[in-house]
Amino acid sequence: MSRASNDAVPAPDVIGCESCGLASLNLVEGERPDLVQRCPRCGHVLHLVKPFAIQRTWACVVAAAILYVPANTLPVLVTTSALQHGEHTLLGGIHELWLDGSWALAVIVFIASIAVPVLKIGVLGLLAWTVRYAPAWRRHERARLYRLIEVVGHWSMLDVYVVVLLAATVRYGALASVDAGDGLLAFAAVVVLTLLATWSFDPRLIWQEFAPHGRRASA
Amino acid sequence: MSRVEDSLVVCDQCGLAHRWGPVGPGAVARCTRCDAVLGRGHRLSIGSILALTVAAGAAYLVAINASLLTITLRGGADDATLPEAIGVAWQGGQKLVAVVAALTALVAPAAFIFFRLYVLIPLAANRKPPGFATCVRILHQAGRWNMVEVFTVGVLLALVRLAALAEATPGPGLLALGVMTVLFASIESAGLKHLWWHVR
Repeated sequence: MSRASNDAVPAPDVIGCESCGLASLNLVEGERPDLVQRCPRCGHVLHLVKPFAIQRTWACVVAAAILYVPANTLPVLVTTSALQHGEHTLLGGIHELWLDGSWALAVIVFIASIAVPVLKIGVLGLLAWTVRYAPAWRRHERARLYRLIEVVGHWSMLDVYVVVLLAATVRYGALASVDAGDGLLAFAAVVVLTLLATWSFDPRLIWQEFAPHGRRASA
Repeated sequence: MSRVEDSLVVCDQCGLAHRWGPVGPGAVARCTRCDAVLGRGHRLSIGSILALTVAAGAAYLVAINASLLTITLRGGADDATLPEAIGVAWQGGQKLVAVVAALTALVAPAAFIFFRLYVLIPLAANRKPPGFATCVRILHQAGRWNMVEVFTVGVLLALVRLAALAEATPGPGLLALGVMTVLFASIESAGLKHLWWHVR
């Protein structure tokens, strides 16, 4: 099965099925949310662009940005021992790893828990904004940014798993017990919301000749 | 009819249509406009994907039943399996976190394997299974939500952090997770849309 392509075909009215890949002619003219066209092979709904992509992306990005505050200020990990009661935030945990001399681990956790969520919120905000207000600006770079956050998006779940595992392992310890804090709930919500935001955005919007609401792309 | 022809491929990322042409083994065809991958010259056969999926299923059974890590503290040993860890999070009042962890590390990988087996076994015998289109859509979602590779690294990180407090040793479940990660990556590299090429 060695098939792939070389030449582009000037066919703006062709839609590729997201599920099975079959190319179909677009039969719905203009924006008609009441008309639904389905793939003749697999029955999946076909869209030239996902409906309400920008609105859905903004909703998830804004919600994620708001929840990012409690995710960083509330403790994600609570340790209790005979001697002391400790509460650890995301950044605090990374700082402790750094002080312990586990620099490599500190960097990995920093990338997964801080850099990736911030990158996703920032990039999706930028993509959703530029589709409407700067449609022709650096299309290739924006397309590449979208593919980047699609690939690295999963990794922000790392700290959620670590805390769940620590809490499960150190249960009836004579010395200490470890529990998940409320910050973890907010952080898990941030991760899920940024994933949903990534999937609601439609990268085909980057390549539209006309911006929604009639703004003409200048280049 | 709105069906154009099988000779066209539309870029997922930017919507530009291309004509299929031959691509040598190992070569990658990219979109001429946005540079996203359109297709690869090398594909696993249905039989190979089926074999990898069966192996992934076996690794999954080990990964959810065997202990992932064990800590020894003052003579007492404590270990954790994946379902246990999710149960502890649920009982500890972190229900939403437990649901997210279960969905991404337990349910999605199970669906990833189960629906592939359901689809691939009949396809290997040149038959189209009932509900094929729905299964491909479920597999697409299962692939999105599956985070076995992240969970595997999570277990490693937890292990290193526990080693600072007590004697911590990896369990057989961790090895199985590592095997699953590699197998899932190979299975996913084969893609989902091409399954339709085998249905005639």
